[in-house]
Amino acid sequence: MSEVQLSLRSYAKILSHVVQYPYTAVNGVLLTPASPERKEGDGNLRRKEGNERVEVVDAVPLFHYNISLSPMLTVALTQIEEYAINRGLRICGYYHANEFHSDNDIGFVAARIADRIAENCEEGACLLLVNNEKLDHIATELPFKVFFPVRSTDRIDWKEGEEPILQYGERGLTLGPEIMKTQLYQSVVDMDSHYDDVRCHWDNAALNEVVTLFTESIPDLEEVEE
Amino acid sequence: MLRDPETIHPVNENKTWPEIRDKLRQWRKEHVRCSDKIVELGEYALAHYSSNLGNEKWAVYEQLCVAALDLCPVKMKVVNRCIQKLAEQFPSSLRVSMLEGLKSEYLKKWDEALEMYNGMIEYEPTFPAPYKRKVAIYKAQGKVSDAVSELNRYLTTFSCDHESWLELADLYIGQQSYKQALFCVEELLLQHPHNHLFHQRYADILHTLGGKENLEASCKYYCRAAELNSSNVRALYGVLMSSSTLASIGKISAKAKSDNLTLAAWACDMIEEFYKSQRVGKSVILETASVLDKLSLK
Repeated sequence: MSEVQLSLRSYAKILSHVVQYPYTAVNGVLLTPASPERKEGDGNLRRKEGNERVEVVDAVPLFHYNISLSPMLTVALTQIEEYAINRGLRICGYYHANEFHSDNDIGFVAARIADRIAENCEEGACLLLVNNEKLDHIATELPFKVFFPVRSTDRIDWKEGEEPILQYGERGLTLGPEIMKTQLYQSVVDMDSHYDDVRCHWDNAALNEVVTLFTESIPDLEEVEE
Repeated sequence: MLRDPETIHPVNENKTWPEIRDKLRQWRKEHVRCSDKIVELGEYALAHYSSNLGNEKWAVYEQLCVAALDLCPVKMKVVNRCIQKLAEQFPSSLRVSMLEGLKSEYLKKWDEALEMYNGMIEYEPTFPAPYKRKVAIYKAQGKVSDAVSELNRYLTTFSCDHESWLELADLYIGQQSYKQALFCVEELLLQHPHNHLFHQRYADILHTLGGKENLEASCKYYCRAAELNSSNVRALYGVLMSSSTLASIGKISAKAKSDNLTLAAWACDMIEEFYKSQRVGKSVILETASVLDKLSLK
């Protein structure tokens, strides 16, 4: 059974991106540690599709405007790939929030971009669709649907999987309401903001620091058991 | 408790009365949709500076009402209070009726809202707002083709409304009807020939359509956008993308290939110079240089 593990850092960025631009569709990419070099003969150890674990350690918000047009998507993905390589990471997935509250299905645009990202992933790709209707309940559950790619010769189908697991479990969930209360989402930077003002960097270092402080403030910290 | 001073700083703290008034004016003028800030500052201004505002307070009530609707159900009382105050001051006002319509839309009472807007259109056909709200209702209901038809009808009368041409272009792009989207942006280019953003948008759609002729055209429009505004980094990246792609197509002449490669190199230089001029960090400049190399090779 495939599963997605979501770090607090990536959750903070996705949630902030969605909440900062509530009146439009938003999207972004998910990052995971890059796999170590394979030794010859390790092919059998590769997880078969349907039994993958995707550990999302970070997210990079992409756009909140003109999501469907391709040129800036190519530029943005190239920039993020370069950023990821320099930090021992790789792109492993895509997140998407539709424009309308009641629209919680994978649309054409989301599928097209997710396909493109999955085609460039050797393994462990996922699509995180924000369930807008669950945004009212972030104190108790994650507002995401997760999909994994099922590849055939000429296409990719996205099959719904189990809900993602958040780092630190229930304690991690308290980050969501905290982001809302402190209006931390206002500081999120996406690629659109970067192209509007290149001095803003989409690594969201300031948000990372705040999430680290939050993590340190959680009493009796325990990792979620694998 | 999580504290980040930059983001939890109340919008109204340490602001003088003229700053508050000017901020609200700026947001009204630029149609900025920062609803939580508008509600916070608007409520504060009306509570503490109502007499200073004078007649401007009615504009603030309207602004606050629209912003509070974005924060409903929590701010429904604010919405109701604003509508009540405005209705008392301006009985049978179309603008107040629009707020009632927006409230019905929030409550998803689509038929009630549509009836109200149709009534307003019949009473005053030159008032643009209800036409656009009808389009918004169709969009919210997922009736995109109805939204497109309604917007086309509206634009035959109000053909100078650039916001609506952009909206129609977006609707067409969402449907992958790129040629129709191009037509909308062409209308914008006719009316605003010096707007770099419209040239860039036109180029984006052409590039997305793809094919040699569209790429050549997109390259020209990206160049024009960059010429109109050399800080439009999207236009510069667009020049790089389109010229690199054209240079790599097999069926072009040696001269065309050489010209495109020169253009791509120029775009790379411009982008690097721009990043340096904005004083971004050294690591960003190095990464950008590497990215530009990769984009040029495609």
